Amino acid sequence: MQQPTISNEPSTAIEKIVAFLDARVGLKEIQAKMLNEPIPGGSRWAYVFGSILLFIFGMQALTGILLMFYYVPTADHAYASTQYIIHDVDYGWFLLGYHFWGSSAMVVCVIAHMSQVFLWGAYKPPRELLWLVGLALFGIVIGFGFTGYLLPWDQRAYWATTVGVEMVDKVPLLGDFLARFLKGGPTPGQMTLSRFFVIHVMILPAALMALAGLHLFLFRVAAPAGPFQGTSEEIKAKTDYFFPRQIWKDMVGMAAVFVTICGLAFWEPVVLLEEATPDPGEYHPEPEWYFLFYFQLLRLKVFAGEFGQFMGAVALPVLFMVLLVALPFFDKDPERNIFKRPVALISWIFIMAIIAIFTVSSVINREFLD
Amino acid sequence: MLQPKLKSKVRCTDRDIGEVTKVILDPLSHEISHLVVSMNGSGERQVLMTHVQEVMDDLVALRVPSSDIVALPPFKRDDYVTTHEVEISHLEDNLDVVPGEILVPFPDLEKDVKRRTFFMNFTHVIAFLIGLPIAYPILRFLMKPMYAPFDNDWIAVGNVSKIKHDDVGTQFQYNKKVKEAYMPESEVEKSVWILKASPEVLEKFYEDKDQDFRDASGRLIWTNKKEFPYIAFSGKCPHLGCAFKWRQHKTLGQVFLCPCHLSIYDATGKILDGPAPRALDALPIRVSASGEVEIIDMEFKAGVKNQVRII
Repeated sequence: MQQPTISNEPSTAIEKIVAFLDARVGLKEIQAKMLNEPIPGGSRWAYVFGSILLFIFGMQALTGILLMFYYVPTADHAYASTQYIIHDVDYGWFLLGYHFWGSSAMVVCVIAHMSQVFLWGAYKPPRELLWLVGLALFGIVIGFGFTGYLLPWDQRAYWATTVGVEMVDKVPLLGDFLARFLKGGPTPGQMTLSRFFVIHVMILPAALMALAGLHLFLFRVAAPAGPFQGTSEEIKAKTDYFFPRQIWKDMVGMAAVFVTICGLAFWEPVVLLEEATPDPGEYHPEPEWYFLFYFQLLRLKVFAGEFGQFMGAVALPVLFMVLLVALPFFDKDPERNIFKRPVALISWIFIMAIIAIFTVSSVINREFLD
Repeated sequence: MLQPKLKSKVRCTDRDIGEVTKVILDPLSHEISHLVVSMNGSGERQVLMTHVQEVMDDLVALRVPSSDIVALPPFKRDDYVTTHEVEISHLEDNLDVVPGEILVPFPDLEKDVKRRTFFMNFTHVIAFLIGLPIAYPILRFLMKPMYAPFDNDWIAVGNVSKIKHDDVGTQFQYNKKVKEAYMPESEVEKSVWILKASPEVLEKFYEDKDQDFRDASGRLIWTNKKEFPYIAFSGKCPHLGCAFKWRQHKTLGQVFLCPCHLSIYDATGKILDGPAPRALDALPIRVSASGEVEIIDMEFKAGVKNQVRII
C-alpha cells in the first residue's frame, strides 16, 4: 500500500507549498484521517446519499448566494426581481432552475438517506445521537423548502404559505401566536416575506452547517455501521477505506444528481405564475410535488372538522416525528438485518405506499377540478 | 486482553529473541492482533497474539520455539498505516501500549485555585445574566407587527347588475389598499362572493335571525337584515384558507367548491361535503340605491368551528 506520508524532499512549487502547510497544520495527517476510514464490509452504492446531500447543499448555497445578487425580498419587488433573474440575467433561468430543482433533489436524497439508515438498522445503539441529529437535519431541509417557496412571491408561493401557516395555526394553545409570529401579522405580506427570507438565507443555513458538522463528527465517532449481515471474518475481508472506492461511488452519485438537476433546470424551467395576491383567480393552489401526498391526505373525511384538522395538520406529523425520534430507544433489538425485522420492513413499505398512492391520487384529482 | 508494552523483551520457549517494536491492531475489533518483534538486528517478524503465552511487566513470553519465529517472513512495514493516519474511533479506549504516561506540568498559578467548580458555575451565571435582559427585547422586537387593529371601513366592490341569476355565486373582485409598516401604500386584489338569494335560500341562511357584526369590544358594527336579499361570503375557505369557486358538481348541483382540499358548500354557505369545520363566512354588506355593493372586508381564522376574526 502507498504511504500517505511522503518523506521525499519537495521539488516543485506546489510540493513546497504543501510541505510548508503540512509542517504548520499537519495537512497530510488531516488528509490521511479524512480518507483512511475503514468501512466495514467495504464500499457500497447504498452509502452514497450522505455525501450527495452535502454536495447538493453546497450547490444550493452557491446558487442561492448568486440569486441574492439580483433578488430583492420586498413585496413590491420580489416578483419583478425574480422575473428579471429568469428573463434578463444571463443564465439566470439556469441558476434559478438549478436552485429550484436542487431543493427537490435534496428532499428525494434525504428520504433515500433516511430509508437506507432505517433499512440497514444503522440508527440502533450506539448510533442514536447520529439518528437524532439526522432527524433535525431532515426538519431543516423541510424548513428550507417551505420558506424558499414563498420568495418568488407569485401565486403558487403565496397560497402554499397561506395554507402552510394555517396548519401551524392548528397547534393547540400556541398556534395563533406561532402563525402570527411566522407571518409577522394577521395575513401574509411584507413582514412574512422578510421573515421567510431571513430564515431561508441566514438561520437555516447556519443551523444546517452546524448540525451537518455535528452529524459528520458523530458519524466518525460511532464509525460506519457496515452491512447488516455476514460474519465478522467476511466483513473484515471486504473492509476497505473511504478512499478510493467509496469516494468514487459518491462522485458518480454526485455527477448523476448534478446532471439530473441540470437536465430538469433545462427542460423544466421555472415559470412564475401571476404576482402574489389574496385573490387566486383561476389558479388552483397546490403545494410542491413532494407535499402532494400530504395535501391529498388532508382532503380525507377523517381529517374533517376542527378536531380532524388538528389530527391531520398537527397530530399526524408530530406523532410521526416523535415515533422517529423514539425509534432507537424502543427498538433495542441488536438484529440489523431488515429481512429479520418484519415490523420495520412492513412499516417502511406501508409509508412509501401511502406516499405513492396519495401523490398519484392527488394528480388524478387535478383533472376533476377544471 | 493482553497488553504487551513496547520495548518489552520477547522470550521464546528456548531463548530470548528480541523486543517488541510495534503492535498491530484489528481496526474493527480494536484488539491487538500481532506483535512486531525486532530480532536484535536480524530483521522484524510479525507474531500472532495467539502465540503469546504470558505478558509480564517488561517481558512477553511466547509458547513457540525461536526457530518458528525466525522462519516467519520478514515484517512488511508498507502493508500498514499508523494510527495517526487512519480514522478509527475509540481507538484508545481499551488500549494501553504507551510505555508509561505522557505528562505535562500543571502551571504554578493553577495549583492554588481551589474553587474550580465555583468559577465554572459563576461563568454560567454571568452568561445567564447577559442573556436575560436581551431575551425579552428580542421577543418584543420580533412580535412588533403581529397584531393589527381591525379595519371596519366599507369597500366598494362593484354593481349588483353583475349578478344575473338568483342563488348563483358571483365573484366580485376588488382592490384593497394596504399600508404595511414602512412600505409604501399598495393595493392587493381580493375577492368576495355575492349571492342574490331567493326567499327560500334567504330563509335557510338567516333562520329568521338578523346577523350582527361586533368589534372586539362588543360594539355593534353592522347588522345584515334577514329580509335583505344580498349575501356576501368572504373569499377565504374556512378549512385552510384557500379560495373557493362556484362550480357545477356532478351530484350536488351548483355549489361553492374549494379546489385545495375539496370542501363543498351550498349557496347558503353550509357544508355539504369535505373537511371544512364550519360554514362559509358571511360579511357585512350594503347596496346603494344605484346598485353599488359595499362590504366590510373581514377575514376569519380558518380551521376552527367558531368564527375568530383576524382582519
